Amino acid sequence: MPSSVPADVPGVALRPARVPRGSGFSLMLSELRVLFARRRTWALLLALAAIPVLVAVAVRVSSSVPPGRGPAFLDRISQNGLFVAFTAMLVSVPLFLPLTVGVVAGDTIAGEANLGTLRYLLVAPAGRVRLLLVKYAGALAFCLVAPLTVGVAGAAIGAALFPVGPVTLLSGDVIQPPEAAVRILLIAAYLAVSLAGLSAIGLFLSTLTVVPVGAMAATVVVSVVSQVLDQLPQLEWLHPWLFSHYWFGFGDMLRQPVLWDTFASNALLQAGYITAFGALAYGRMVTKDVLS
Amino acid sequence: MGSDIMGSGGRFNRRSTPGTRRAWLRWVPAVAAPAVIAAGVLAGTIPARAGDPLPAKTPAEVLALVGGHDGGHKPHSFSGTIEQSSDLGLPELPAAGPSSGPASAGGAASVFELLSGQHTARVYMDGKTKVRIQVMDRLAERDIIRRDSDLWFYSSRDNSAAHLTLPAFARDLPLVDPGLPGSPPPDQSVPDGAMPATPQELAEHLLAKVDSTTAVRVGDDVEVAGRAAYNLVLEPRTDATLVGNVAIAVDGETGMPLSVQVTARGADSPSFHAGFTSLSLEAPDDSLFTFVPPPGSTVEELQVPATGWPPGIHNPGMMITPDQLDAIHQRPDGIHQHPDGIHQDPAPSTVTGKGWETVVEIPAAAAGGTLAGSLLKDPLLSQAAVVVPGGRLLSTTLFNVLITDDGRIFAGMVPPDRLQAAASAVP
Repeated sequence: MPSSVPADVPGVALRPARVPRGSGFSLMLSELRVLFARRRTWALLLALAAIPVLVAVAVRVSSSVPPGRGPAFLDRISQNGLFVAFTAMLVSVPLFLPLTVGVVAGDTIAGEANLGTLRYLLVAPAGRVRLLLVKYAGALAFCLVAPLTVGVAGAAIGAALFPVGPVTLLSGDVIQPPEAAVRILLIAAYLAVSLAGLSAIGLFLSTLTVVPVGAMAATVVVSVVSQVLDQLPQLEWLHPWLFSHYWFGFGDMLRQPVLWDTFASNALLQAGYITAFGALAYGRMVTKDVLS
Repeated sequence: MGSDIMGSGGRFNRRSTPGTRRAWLRWVPAVAAPAVIAAGVLAGTIPARAGDPLPAKTPAEVLALVGGHDGGHKPHSFSGTIEQSSDLGLPELPAAGPSSGPASAGGAASVFELLSGQHTARVYMDGKTKVRIQVMDRLAERDIIRRDSDLWFYSSRDNSAAHLTLPAFARDLPLVDPGLPGSPPPDQSVPDGAMPATPQELAEHLLAKVDSTTAVRVGDDVEVAGRAAYNLVLEPRTDATLVGNVAIAVDGETGMPLSVQVTARGADSPSFHAGFTSLSLEAPDDSLFTFVPPPGSTVEELQVPATGWPPGIHNPGMMITPDQLDAIHQRPDGIHQHPDGIHQDPAPSTVTGKGWETVVEIPAAAAGGTLAGSLLKDPLLSQAAVVVPGGRLLSTTLFNVLITDDGRIFAGMVPPDRLQAAASAVP
């Protein structure tokens, strides 16, 4: 009977339950464990790892690529296997990375709601805000792992199929393979930052619905729309505000010395998106009726 | 258990009526966050009035400051980022830059490409003989590296390099020198007496020379790359040019030109802008000036053209620095005053008009009849050039180029009808 419930009992409804410190951390760990134990997450990462393999095998079996044709760095692969990593990361930026990130970010809240587990998560002494933060942190972890997978798989398959040697940077300077590995990690970090804004959008969209596929599709569509808008010269005033604007700026990690301006602008822009859409997701999360 | 949860949900529903006011409150962050971001952006765009205003100076004093003898602390070592943007009314080019061509063969297309859109370059300089310019393209880069008499060009797009050994006469002629535009190179050891002795005199001499055509004044101080700068404004005294004014920002501390913007007559925003977005006066790392062609690159050995180096024309496909631009913009006067300065040119061009109204004509025969033809063969140029009576016109907000049907080329910072008049006047 509703009347029998004392009014001041902290409930799941609006007030986050008071929980001991540290439970956020264990919740985080369990979220990461669930995320990376999922077969779907592994399938996504495997699909990403397949991109450099495809690129490397295609270059291996075909005749040499004339310089200046195809995506940047493609013509360098046959001389240096490490360029597989750069080419694969370049190829995966416009669609594959946003696609996988969209799947993970769109699933965060809507997936739990769809499985009917969201209310259990909220019954557990966690609180909605904390749950939101943990879910977003999980999505961010995937943002970091996804480009890293492409880069590492690219370097590995490149080293297996082609000679590995000093890498020529865009500036014409030559760096040794260990430093090239650092550059690959830098690019992965750059891409992880680039995808953080999209993750926040996906998180917000995920709070709107109980159908995870809808949130995933919407997130991917948003990323495609943003990239299309970025191509229209008529909308030049809008370009610096699009979250995909700096996605291809990772080439600046391949200059000598590294051009950090793009990294900084990108991080600032993504932080803006995280703030705006994080606040929206917060508003939606703490006001919504959790019925499933 | 399940009923407990449903019970809580029910309780939530029951309480939602009195809670609407609080639910409304919970959307406050969602509204506040974009507002805070917008406020931050607005605050960022308001030009910060940094520190003390610069002491007032006359144009001559500012020019003397540019000359660098003022205190003698002119930096010859710096690293900085230059951004150049042009809005000349030319058709937009694909952002990918020039489609092909080795580093050495920039040609007309590269010059044309530099005239449209936006470009960023990093410039490193250590002394007068160590220079590196990196033109940033998307996922590509074009480099010029100079160490003493070795000059390298590199283009990452096709991994091609070109090398040039500067001859002795050019060795003291720095590729990029933040020196006084249009004046003799400042550190040249010119015997006293032949030239005005002090930079102040030199500046006044120069001002007097341009005074008939150009009004020079110092505008409000500006801030460029976080540095307070004098704003030297040059305004043509004639209506017969397309140029409204040229504004040069001169660093208040070092006298280095920091930015140049050219505004067309009657326009609100500049048609051409080039300037530093960041600047550090520390000496760059010496290894930056060492260039070894990377493995697998094609290397071409270039010969120095016998006629010398008009800046910005023979520099293949590369950035025009503010300094070079200064030089170019001062050039009309220079050509007018010293017509023998171009006598070495195998294709003697004739100059009509004076000052800002100068029209340069390149005769068809002298250019071997090929220049106009090759210009029009370039798909980008031929697309941009419109057919007018008497030839084809490449029209921009700042200058016009008329290629007549018989192969002569007329160019000037003047309206098209003046070019046509010049074309019909000279048989």
